[in-house]
Amino acid sequence: MSGGVYGGDEVGALVFDIGSFSTRAGYAGEDCPKADFPTSLGVLAQEEGGAELGADKEKSSGRTFYIDTNALHVARPGVELVSPLKNGMIEDWESFQAILDHTYCKHVKSEPSLHPVLMSEAPWNTRAKREKLTELVFEHYNIPAFFLCKTAVLTAFANGRATGLVLDSGATHTTAIPVHDGYVLQQGIVKSPLAGDFITMQCRELFQEMNIDIIPPYMIAGKEPVREGAPPNWTKKDKLPPVTKSWHTYMCNEVIQDFQASVLQVSDSPYDEQVAAQMPTVHFEMPSGYTTDYGAERLRIPEGLFDPSNVKGLSGNTMLGVGHVITTSIGMCDIDIRPGLYSSVIVTGGNTLLQGFTERLNRELSQKAPPSMRLKLIASNSSMERRFSPWIGGSILASLGTFQQMWISKQEYEEWGKESVERKCP
Amino acid sequence: MASGVAVHDDVVNIFNAMKVRKAGEAEQDRLKAILFRLSNDEKQIIVDEGSELHVRDLQPGEDIFKRVVGLLPEKDCRYALYDSSYETKDSKKEDLVFIMWAPENAPLKRKMIYASSKNALRSKLTGIKFEWQINEMGEIKDPSTLVEKFGGKGLVVSVEGKPI
Repeated sequence: MSGGVYGGDEVGALVFDIGSFSTRAGYAGEDCPKADFPTSLGVLAQEEGGAELGADKEKSSGRTFYIDTNALHVARPGVELVSPLKNGMIEDWESFQAILDHTYCKHVKSEPSLHPVLMSEAPWNTRAKREKLTELVFEHYNIPAFFLCKTAVLTAFANGRATGLVLDSGATHTTAIPVHDGYVLQQGIVKSPLAGDFITMQCRELFQEMNIDIIPPYMIAGKEPVREGAPPNWTKKDKLPPVTKSWHTYMCNEVIQDFQASVLQVSDSPYDEQVAAQMPTVHFEMPSGYTTDYGAERLRIPEGLFDPSNVKGLSGNTMLGVGHVITTSIGMCDIDIRPGLYSSVIVTGGNTLLQGFTERLNRELSQKAPPSMRLKLIASNSSMERRFSPWIGGSILASLGTFQQMWISKQEYEEWGKESVERKCP
Repeated sequence: MASGVAVHDDVVNIFNAMKVRKAGEAEQDRLKAILFRLSNDEKQIIVDEGSELHVRDLQPGEDIFKRVVGLLPEKDCRYALYDSSYETKDSKKEDLVFIMWAPENAPLKRKMIYASSKNALRSKLTGIKFEWQINEMGEIKDPSTLVEKFGGKGLVVSVEGKPI
């Protein structure tokens, strides 16, 4: 084996896919990630007494972090909710490290220095951030080899395509990313904030209009069954600590996200009040015990994803609906490759799991795309593949014997420095 | 980003033989299509034995696309080279077409390896003008995509002797 190549395959590589909503991590070669936990974490600014030194908190420089589903859900005074990512890129490096530390310690249960790491990144990640990350994993974690892959490329490959348009609708953004011959065409990336979090916000307004209080489970000590539509009959836990607004909001949002997933449905044609009124209603029970049926709202709320023109509270309304995000993106690419993009529109991301999402998108695109274009929408039927496609793609790649020559080895890093990431992971 | 999968010399040799027509070579012996696949150890791309389709293997007037479809595995991926002959308003043409076959119901791992290794193969097969990505059997049976690539309905008169 030649000098610079990382040559140890005795221990498995690790794959990290850190999204704005959740962090996926696990061993390369496995079918799905071992760990899947919220990327948001609780943070306590000042040092507190030794009263509750739990196993799930990680400390550094005066900030205490509460990571992963269990630790995050405990009501604690003064704990604010933060995310290490902003716009899909690492912003708060300290809390990002806390997530890595937590993954190594609680999920992987092994030493970072033993495993090569393949990490996914936002297609628009900046050079400075990529280099800083490379420096961090080699200098601080002392890993033996590293690789950085763009999420959209992993998704396209996992769908058997080197060329295609990846539509990724996640929590914070809906993004169209053109991939050609395995490379992201940066100039064609189009982003819109109409995504999962936007739907959550719309639901929150709906509940306000309907005078429904959202009571997160952490506040509830007990509840009695009540008639449909009747005020809930629940008792509050006593001695609730004074929690912060950001943490409380996160807990409320989880209730709403549950509602989103179980009640909402995207209309298969542009929203029509009369049609919506005919929708079969769906029953939903709040954690507080309040129950009611939802009818037209089921269609009205997700409509904003496709047609933002009627959404209240969007200032100026210059946002692009999902269909437009795609056509705009393809329109910015070279005319020769447009047919290849239209014939492989790959749908991924948790928000696309909304019922009826792909059917509506198909309809919108067949109307918006030039008539001569052959259009094909690719959406995996498995929700696991739709949510984890970058991770699964990375898992396969990093487990290939031939991939060993692709890693940035520790030795290469030492020779070339942090610029090695630009050389080996363009 | 690539998988690191290598390309076997036989693949390159066959490509070169298809690209450059030898003087005196009988038309019957010409290779019309051939498949390449991932070796069993997943380390390199090799010739798919028995997939060679020569001119002599085709009945006069037989649809070559139907023959190629017969060679493709239903649940696995392949690369293919196809030596097309078509006629435009101006002239008769022969061009090599690179095909990537990745059916939606192939295992995810296969799709991932074939898609991520494509560039490595393409970089060895220099000078191919056309590339055709196929993900369903129906797409290859309908050569209209190919006609588009060759220049569109206005320009192309016939493909493989069949008028458009």
